[in-house]
Amino acid sequence: MTVPLRLTIGERELDSGLTLQAVQNPGVQTYACVVSLDIRPGDEPADRGGLANLVGETLDEGTERHDALELATAVESLGAMIDANHRGGVVMAPAVAAKAATALLHELVLEPVFPGREVRRVQAEVLTEIKAEEDDPRSVAARRFRKEVYGEHPLGRPTAGTAKSVGRLRPKDLRAFHDDWFRPAGGFVACAGPEDPERQLDRLEKAFRGFRGKAPKHAPTPDVDLGPAGRDAHLPMPREQVHVFLGHVGIRRTHPDFYVLSVMDHVLGTGPGFTSRCARKLRDEQGLCYSVSAGITASAGEEPGMFTAYIGTSPEHRQRAIDGFLDEIRRIRSEPVSAQELQDVKDYLTGSFVFALERNSNLAAYTIRARRFGLGFDYIQRYPELIRAITAEQVREAAERHLQPDRLVVISAGAS
Amino acid sequence: MSDMTMLPDVEVVELENGFKALLVERGPLPVVASMLWYRVGSRDERTGETGVSHFLEHMMFKGTERFAKGQIDLQTSKMGGSNNAFTDNDSTAYYFTMASDRWETALEIEASRMRDCLLDPHEFASEKNVVLEELAMGEDDPWRPLYQATESLLYQVHPYHHPVIGYRQDLERLSAQQMRDYYHRNYGPNRAFLVVVGNIDRARTAERIRELFGPLPRVEDRREPLTEPAPQGERRAVLRTPHSVTRLCFGFPTCRMGERDDYALDVLAHDLGNSKNSRLYRRLVLKDELVTDVHVMNETRQDPGALFLMCELRDGVEPAKVEAIVREEIRAQVQEGVAKKDLARILTQIRSSFLFQDEAVLDMAMKLGRFEAGTPGGFRTLGSVLATYDSLTSAELRTVAAKFFDFDRIAVVWGLPAASKDGDKPGARRKAGKTSRRPEVQKREAAPKRSKKAKAHPPVAKKKPTEKSRKKARKGGKRA
Repeated sequence: MTVPLRLTIGERELDSGLTLQAVQNPGVQTYACVVSLDIRPGDEPADRGGLANLVGETLDEGTERHDALELATAVESLGAMIDANHRGGVVMAPAVAAKAATALLHELVLEPVFPGREVRRVQAEVLTEIKAEEDDPRSVAARRFRKEVYGEHPLGRPTAGTAKSVGRLRPKDLRAFHDDWFRPAGGFVACAGPEDPERQLDRLEKAFRGFRGKAPKHAPTPDVDLGPAGRDAHLPMPREQVHVFLGHVGIRRTHPDFYVLSVMDHVLGTGPGFTSRCARKLRDEQGLCYSVSAGITASAGEEPGMFTAYIGTSPEHRQRAIDGFLDEIRRIRSEPVSAQELQDVKDYLTGSFVFALERNSNLAAYTIRARRFGLGFDYIQRYPELIRAITAEQVREAAERHLQPDRLVVISAGAS
Repeated sequence: MSDMTMLPDVEVVELENGFKALLVERGPLPVVASMLWYRVGSRDERTGETGVSHFLEHMMFKGTERFAKGQIDLQTSKMGGSNNAFTDNDSTAYYFTMASDRWETALEIEASRMRDCLLDPHEFASEKNVVLEELAMGEDDPWRPLYQATESLLYQVHPYHHPVIGYRQDLERLSAQQMRDYYHRNYGPNRAFLVVVGNIDRARTAERIRELFGPLPRVEDRREPLTEPAPQGERRAVLRTPHSVTRLCFGFPTCRMGERDDYALDVLAHDLGNSKNSRLYRRLVLKDELVTDVHVMNETRQDPGALFLMCELRDGVEPAKVEAIVREEIRAQVQEGVAKKDLARILTQIRSSFLFQDEAVLDMAMKLGRFEAGTPGGFRTLGSVLATYDSLTSAELRTVAAKFFDFDRIAVVWGLPAASKDGDKPGARRKAGKTSRRPEVQKREAAPKRSKKAKAHPPVAKKKPTEKSRKKARKGGKRA
């Protein structure tokens, strides 16, 4: 399919190093704005696990100008939604409220005061969430899997921290993290709405031109190596199902094999419906599960992601499911995918990627990705050709390079 | 906001066999969403065949006379699209999103599986295992057993009593022939309608619909609406769970979807618990710091529905204290209604929630489908929906609150950690109503994350399908 897509995008870089982006989305009556700053996993001190997460959770608990309820009232009165996170946040609002919504997002991200009482309350909520996750076998398995794959790398720590590390955090830790890392250099503010990009950029510039500060010095992020072979653990919990994670360290989004591997993923374990080999075999043919997947590209980002195969199944099927994954991993490394499989996946990828451009928040995220990963704004025009050019042998070679069946971590939790 | 309409330009195609299609042409992206809704859900199931609607939803992807097993997914994939389906109490919907230059295969698939689904016995046996795994997954969820127990207390006679996914014993016993009978009895053009939204040629689409769906024969009409007898007293249950967090679910019987009271209940639900400014959030989360999250869902349905209220308690908090405050705040709402400034803010959020649903073709198709399936006025109700909300007064809201928030008709279910020794009688009081006969639940799965909705999200009710949290607590709906 020839995609008649020409997004109208504008961009400005401010002296502070902050990049502003705007996309015109004609015909909608809504608006979205995303702030994503250059804050990295290694910026969180190793002994303050969960600090970045708690900062994100408490950005909307009070600013220099408004307390938490006043902020919520202001947001709700616009008919807006704001979600804050440890790198900034996103606001979605009716287009007529774009200016006020942008100002609120700015205030919440850049002027938080982390009031003691509110921080303690949210901290208690996060601790309850951690507790709930500790009796959720899927979360337990995922957390342990992540730790085994990443080892001492910052990504090996649970995002929300542990009960112990979160319990130790104080408002001054949050303020220090915010002061140190919420800086404009290397960051993005992107928006999408019905107005032309220049007008939207003017609004962003007016809101964010006062955002200044020296570029932070990030500690270099350590490399992640494949761990030793033969790591296989089961964490018994009294449940109906067992949740199995299997995999190892993956790739960054900028890896040149990314596109070939995205084709591989769809053949192996992420294709739509039950078109992938793992879904066809383990769910459709053997009826082992409701939920199954396997892939390496979905988690590829600024840091290396993971190759992850997942299945939730009955305990008596655990080994059969693991063997099924192993068979498919070995097969895709050793045999070129069939011409039909390859064509089917290409048809899907070249036809479906346009759906990622449907919503304002997706458009804003797209422009940030286009710059952050060096894809360029013409990426949507180039993408179909990148996919069409991939051969079956390239898929096999990439699978052989990136999937290591002898170095897999296998972690399960739940019924035994 | 009453000058705004949420009704897009819809072309209606009606066939002699009772089939109806709603077509909306919109660009500029080259995408299309197609949704086929059946007026068939768990409400239509007979004793002993619970879960058949949802199980059949799975089987609808396992091959038809024209599309062999695997072909529906494969064709969807080649169309650059995705497909899925969901089953709820009143309806089942199948949907595709596709690139607009090849989407019409979706119509062929839908026409084929309306009457010619294979329901192959071998595939049936294999898929039954998948459905049972889905059931197990739901049983491991922390909220679903509470929600289902509340629902089963509220509905003692009406088929809303049983969970959409069905009972394990019924699913295990169900035969392919029983499913086949159910399918032939209920699935036909007069029990279905289609919604298509996107970059389409309406005339061509209408013609294709006539060709494909016109020849299909009618099936028997749906059973008349049913009504649950009014509860005689409060009903309570306690579930012992393997979770370490204590949870509470309240249920109040309410009205049918699309009735005027339904709109008032949306506003009341929001005022009670669906934003940081809501009564229960302010009191229980912010002021007293007793719970981590609170959520209220106005679940009106084709037959009278219910309003569910859910709380997740902080560690060490006495359950009776939370229940007493919930009752106190509800009584306060009945007495005071909704303050004028709060009403204005809530109505702004409702308007926004409709606007956000117009960003994506599937969301718009879902919105049209929900209104067509659930409200007496069908999709055209969207033309006046904002005006209806806008016409609500504080006095009317008080009246509606008093009408439905009656503690002598409620269901209350506590989910207590199995290890808890002091939680046998968590309620502030225990009346002589019926209690659940469900066995103790010993399973769960993913705990819901702390809900962001309490942080400033617009209210979204049953007819506004963007809300995810409600679905999290509901039935085993989705196929994948």
